[in-house]
This record gives sequence, structure tokens and C-alpha cells, in this order.
Amino acid sequence: MDIKGGGWRSFSLDEIEFISEKAKKTLKEMSKYDEHIHLESSLSSLKAISTIILGYWRDSDNPIDRDWFILSKGHAAPALYAVLAEVGLLDKKELFNINKVGSPIQNHPDLSIPFVGMTSGSLAQGLSFSLGISAWIKVKNGKGRVFTLMGDGEQDEGQVWEAITHAPVMRLGNLTVIVDLNRRQLDGSVHEIKPKDYMPLVWKAVGWNVIFCDGHNVRSIAHALENALASSLPSVVFAETSHVDGGC
Amino acid sequence: MIDLSSQREVLAAILEELGERLEDLAVITADVGKSTRVYRFGKKFPERYFNVGVSEQHMISFAAGLSMAGARPIVVGFSVFLMRAWEQIRNSLDIMNLNVKIVGTHSGFSDFADGSTHQSLEDISLMRSLPNMKVVVPADSIDIQRSLPQIVESVHGPLYYRIGRDESQVITSGCTYKFSLGRGYVLRDGYDIAVVGAGPILSEAIKASDELKKEGVSVAVINLLSIKPIDEELLEKYARKTGRIVALEEHSIYGGVGSAIAEVLARKYPVKIKFVGTSTYGRSAKSTKELWSHFGLNSASVVAGCKDLLKSSK
Repeated sequence: MDIKGGGWRSFSLDEIEFISEKAKKTLKEMSKYDEHIHLESSLSSLKAISTIILGYWRDSDNPIDRDWFILSKGHAAPALYAVLAEVGLLDKKELFNINKVGSPIQNHPDLSIPFVGMTSGSLAQGLSFSLGISAWIKVKNGKGRVFTLMGDGEQDEGQVWEAITHAPVMRLGNLTVIVDLNRRQLDGSVHEIKPKDYMPLVWKAVGWNVIFCDGHNVRSIAHALENALASSLPSVVFAETSHVDGGC
Repeated sequence: MIDLSSQREVLAAILEELGERLEDLAVITADVGKSTRVYRFGKKFPERYFNVGVSEQHMISFAAGLSMAGARPIVVGFSVFLMRAWEQIRNSLDIMNLNVKIVGTHSGFSDFADGSTHQSLEDISLMRSLPNMKVVVPADSIDIQRSLPQIVESVHGPLYYRIGRDESQVITSGCTYKFSLGRGYVLRDGYDIAVVGAGPILSEAIKASDELKKEGVSVAVINLLSIKPIDEELLEKYARKTGRIVALEEHSIYGGVGSAIAEVLARKYPVKIKFVGTSTYGRSAKSTKELWSHFGLNSASVVAGCKDLLKSSK
């Protein structure tokens, strides 16, 4: 499972689209083996995950020169596992052992999984953690970039406010956050619990480069990431998705 | 010349000095740079000083991220407000065993004027329960000079370092011991009773030991310093030697230093323990010592505790 030294390559957008479709099937298959998987939330994040790690992520042995992927919405880990299995970095058979005690495949990811930069699952902490990595890369003039995936329900956490007001102060242009706007949170529709429509305005107001994309279209996601990477400000991509079947 | 009566002054001086030597050292604080004096590190090393604003939860996860990228972060905050970030300490930091040191200042009753919301009496208990977290509580400024540089330089992983504010009486200047994580130290030897504790409150144990000596009672005073890992050998030795322990702490008796002592002795050599600490919230006062007296943590309480134990085990 060690990807270092093996030489990580970038896939074309068509290849990523193709791999994502296969991963989506695997993910649905996984859910038959364990009812506790957060299937909807994994499906809606799948293409953002595959586009980042298959299309953009760059490796290095130096922590300030490599890229980082932080799955702040840790409950979308099954989507990451499914993508990794399609490209041979995880054993597909192992995926169906999800949540069996002793299996590295757990509902939330830990550092034993390739591409996982943080043991996550507790919401909003991945965002602050990402700022820490980005800040140190900037202090040390590293080449590394940080990609962070959040949920829209996650925006409710107070820690999000603490973090988003800090990143622009430090001018963290190496930080890109993607917010999966699947309009769902644990108890139901975000509209019924706490609307999120104003969130892009909030991020914009405190100094972020705000971008929108179709979270079920690899080209749209890639276009947004290009915009983000070109900006000297920290960027946030609001990715419109559907929780119903991953919209793919 | 550093003011040795002020723990925060000593803290700031040490961090400035360590910053010169360690290029990966970063200091993170949450708008208490002035109150903790660590703004001086920021003046000297602005790139490695992060004042995140009044955002303790973010501060912890942010520091964990710095560590992941290769920094050696020291988080400095009021110990009482670090507790609001306990879940971040658990899930962003301890769970990955990241190399972040947390310095909790203004602990116990040291922030005497600000009252109950500002006085941390539960922090040791909370930190001690985390699997990877180590906990160190220095008795005075000399103890800080002895232990902090070594901890920052050579102890890996998360560690909670609990200090006070000012007004710390120097009680270990005559001691020659060197700090070693997991070791406790004998400040006064004795054979009738051992008063075991940590932090500035140990000055009251010394006073109690002096008073009881006049009455012919021989009281040992043990500075645990390292609460986790704890010096099991020393605790067992003094339990066997004296058969009576008074546990003294500027902290809740539920889950704190006394509990840590009891956990060891219950396994190794059970003896009677008198717990001297708090069991309620603090309040405002004119001095820390006034609060120690008010809440029964002063030398008189230690003397009374010793006498109780002597009576009950005669």
C-alpha cells in the first residue's frame, strides 16, 4: 500500500471519469456488506475525491513538497477506498471487509490508508489541520499543496468559522477546500435543519477565492481546481452534488 | 535577569532561547500572547509565531497540522480554555500521536482575580485520560527551567505542561535533580507520612512539613513533577516506608494527581490516602494564597490531613 517510491502518475480526465464510474459500482457493492457505511455521502463526494487524487496529487518524500489530501468529511472514506481499489492501491476484496475488526478498511479513514493525511471523522477539524499544513509549507517555501474535502452539514461547526477567518490572514494560496453541497446532513435535508445557501457568501466575505462547480462532472471539478491553484488566495470550491445516487 | 517568581516570564524566556536553536520550533497561541508573554517569541521569530485569534479549538487542530508538515509546535493558552478544545486534542492530535506540546498557563487558582470561569481545576484529569498524552506539572520556575527545554527537545508526542501565572514561590532551587520524564523527586525526606503532589501548591507541603517537624512528626514531601508517566517505584517506596500518604493538588480530587497516585498504590501497595484538593469551582480573590486557604489547600489543611491519618492508623 506504500505509494512512495512507486511513482505516482496523473490520469487523464477521461480516465478519471471512467475509474469513478467503476468505483461507484464498487461502492454500492460495499454497502451490501455493511449497513453502517455512509453511502449517500460517499457517492456525492466520489468524483471530487477521484479528481484530486488521480488528477492532481503530487508526491515527494519531503512533507513540505508533497501534496496533502485531508478528508475532513471522514465519513466519505468508502468512496476513497473504492477509488484506490480501482487503481490497485487497495485490494478490492479487502473493501468488502469494511468495519470488520482487524481490517484497515473502516468507516472513517486513518493514516494507514494511502493518500490519507489525517485520521478524520470529527467534523471541521480537518479544515484547521489543513491550514496548519499549508501554513508550514508556506513558512518553509515548500512546493506542496493541500486539498481538503468538507461536507455542507459540516459547515454548522463553529470551528469552521475559527478556521476560515484565519486562512486569508495568512494568505494561504496553497490551500484548496472543496465543499460537497449534497444538501443533506445526518438528520435530513439541510434546508429543514440549518440552511447553507449563505455559506459561499460567508467564505467570500472573509477573504476566500470562491468557485462553483458540478461535483458530478470531472471536467467541471478539474476546471475549478485549476482556478483554485492559480489563485494567491485560499480557495474554496462549492461542488453541487446529489445525494440520491451520486448523480453520476 | 529573569524574574523567577513569575512562571510565565520564565516560559517566554525559555521559548525565545529554544527558538534560536530549533528552526522547526513554532509557537501558537489564541490571543493570549501578551498574557502568557510568548508574544516575545513572535517578535523574534514572526514567521514561526501564529496567533490564531480567540479560537482554541482551531488552534489545536491547526498546531496538529503544523506538526504533520514537520514543525515542532508549542501551543500556549490558558489551561481553562484549552479544555474547550479537549475533543480537538483527542481527535486532531493524540489519536495520531503527533509531536505537539501544550502549555496550559494560569492553571489552578493562579488567575485569582478572574474567578471560577478562569480557574482550571479539571485539566489534569481530562488530559491524563488520553492514551498518548503525557502530563508534566512543574513545582516552580526552576522546575520549568529543568524540564521544559528537555521536553521540547527530546520527548516525542503530545504532552500537557501545566504551569501557573506569577507568584510562584521558588522551592526547588536547592535541589540538584535533573528532570527525567516519569521520575518523581524527594524534596524532604521523612518516615511518618509522605505528602505527594505537584505544582506550586507543594510550597504548602514544605510549610506543613516544617510545622509538623516541631511536633516530632517526620513528613516527607515528594514532587511528582511527571504525572503521566508516573514514578511508580518512588510511590511504592514511600507507601512502604511511611504507610500514609497525603495527596496534594491545586486541582479537583476527582481524576487528578491524587487519583493517579491511588491508581498506582491500589495495585502496588495499598495504604490510606488523604486527598487534599478541590471538589468545587473557584471564585475571585485578592491573591492565590487566599484562595488556597479558602478552599482548604493550605499548609493548615495538609497538617490536619496528616494528623487525621496518624490518628486513624495508630
